[in-house]
Amino acid sequence: MSTFGSRPLALAGKELKVFFRDPQMLFFSLALPLVLVLLMTAAFGGQSRFSVTARVVDLDGGPLAAELTGRLEAVPGVTVDLLDPETAERLLEDSDIVNLVVIGEEFSERLAAGQAPDIRVRLRGNGDTEGQIVNSYVESIVREMLGESLVARQVQAMLAEAGLEVPVEEVEARVGELFAETRESPLVTVAEETVGVRPEPIAQFLPGMVTMFTLFAISLTSVSLVEERRKGTLERLMTTTLTRAELLSGTWLGNFGRGLVQVVFLFGLAWLFFNVLTLSSFASIILFGVVAVASVAGIGLVIAAVSRTPEQANWIAVFFTMIMTSLGGSFFDTSGFTGVMGVLTRMTYNFWANDGFRRIILEGEALTSPPIVKDMVVLAGIGLAGWALALALFRLRGDDK
Amino acid sequence: MEVRDLRKVFNGTTAVDGVSFTINRGEIFGLLGPNGAGKTTTIRMMSTTLPMTSGDVVIGGHSVRERPGEVRRLIGVCPQEIALYLELSALDNLVFFGRMEGLSKAEAVRRARANLELVGLAERARHRVAKFSGGMKRRVNLAVSLMNRPELLFLDEPTVGVDPQSRNHIFDTIEGLRDEGMTILYTTHYMEEADRLCDRIAIMDNGRVVALDSPRNLKASIGDPDEVTLEDVFLNLTGRRLRDQG
Repeated sequence: MSTFGSRPLALAGKELKVFFRDPQMLFFSLALPLVLVLLMTAAFGGQSRFSVTARVVDLDGGPLAAELTGRLEAVPGVTVDLLDPETAERLLEDSDIVNLVVIGEEFSERLAAGQAPDIRVRLRGNGDTEGQIVNSYVESIVREMLGESLVARQVQAMLAEAGLEVPVEEVEARVGELFAETRESPLVTVAEETVGVRPEPIAQFLPGMVTMFTLFAISLTSVSLVEERRKGTLERLMTTTLTRAELLSGTWLGNFGRGLVQVVFLFGLAWLFFNVLTLSSFASIILFGVVAVASVAGIGLVIAAVSRTPEQANWIAVFFTMIMTSLGGSFFDTSGFTGVMGVLTRMTYNFWANDGFRRIILEGEALTSPPIVKDMVVLAGIGLAGWALALALFRLRGDDK
Repeated sequence: MEVRDLRKVFNGTTAVDGVSFTINRGEIFGLLGPNGAGKTTTIRMMSTTLPMTSGDVVIGGHSVRERPGEVRRLIGVCPQEIALYLELSALDNLVFFGRMEGLSKAEAVRRARANLELVGLAERARHRVAKFSGGMKRRVNLAVSLMNRPELLFLDEPTVGVDPQSRNHIFDTIEGLRDEGMTILYTTHYMEEADRLCDRIAIMDNGRVVALDSPRNLKASIGDPDEVTLEDVFLNLTGRRLRDQG
């Protein structure tokens, strides 16, 4: 005969087998959170580098106008959209575009002569950030081109003074090459240094999604205990010598196992494919995840203990998860909340789990840092309270004391 | 096993009203009755899953009221529902419930294989129960209830909705268990089953036992036992009024 310990393990093993053989639950627990993280990253994550479109009307049509649009397009993050004058005017009038670069008819001629070129950037209102960025790039490129033109003219004048007759095209080409080389290998560069882990957009959404879906999946699978009442398997278990504490321990272990599979799967993908975690931060996140999942498994037990029908359990699980998720900062950062909202957000599992996951991923904090230790202590407390509450509320049989 | 003046009242409605009988070691005892007669409620109280309002059941010298844990070691229950995990294989189901009875994994696997052999499903041990026919599920349901080698086995309508082949196999299994000395409490709606299998039969109606005797004596109570069927006895005792539950 076995002692306490082997039966909870056998129960947990059964729960995990059922989990891995249920395609719907696998999709809901593993694939759906991944899809949502990717969708949210695509929709709201923005890009690590900005992206703007410069709308250009070329009334000049000359080689220097083409050179200007070429250089503009070569700027990382800038796309050039060449428009005809009528269309551009209409779009600007209708506010469909907010910036318009108009290269004047005498642009190439004046630039070649070393004169201020004929170019305007028209902005709708203040042109938004996009218009201001385009304006700034255009101004910079035109100034650069004018400088090249002036240098070429100066060099030619100096050669002429020295009695050397060199064709103007040859001088311009040579000067152009020199400037092109400088642009390719600039003499001065500004080094970009990222503090902490790279702020990939996916890193901002992953913790919230993981906490939401571990809570959601475990809450919903807690329905399975209630479902067992309906199917008759719980009554069958009641005729064995299984105790209430063993049943709850086994259910808790099963929930814990499922949650851990989710955490390892989702953060594992983040580590292997999304460049969000280092090996060290991955190890920290899994250790923190163990505490977080132990906590949420305790919450799942309470839902299982208080529900009498699968429908009731489903409603409690969905309602409870939505409230916890919204207040706990899975969709937006709630750490700045004060007053009543500050208290409410700190009463959720999600707040503490999100805080820890984010600190490890985004700030690169160690597991032993005081804020993360605090998160883990609170989460462990939530888990223990859930377990104790479930034990007090759940009745396996009429003779349970 | 002795049932002493067993009563169950649900919200003022008496479902079982002073039922008493004894079951001798090694016999198959039939519990018959129309829908709502109180059979399942009686079995649930006897098998420790439902608290009784008054009275007691003594199994193997242990009171269900006082020492339910001891009673659970002696009983096996095959419920009316297919109380199995359909996502798991037949073997996994048996091993799991064996572990819940406190068996070691090795012992649970050994008994599971033996029980599947007994119900004719050894070849399908690794197949998911969800893919089984109704009759096969019923046989797995029965095999699970034997995992703890019970002294007293409760069989609640074990042949509902099964094909004749599976039904015959279940009969053979039950008779084999009786021959090995197991005591069986059997409920069914099929009178010919009760006639074939049961040594004694109690007929319940409205929460009471209205007759208790061997099938032959019950038939003799209303006519020639070779001419009268058990169904005639049943209808004579319980009437022809429909007993729809709802």
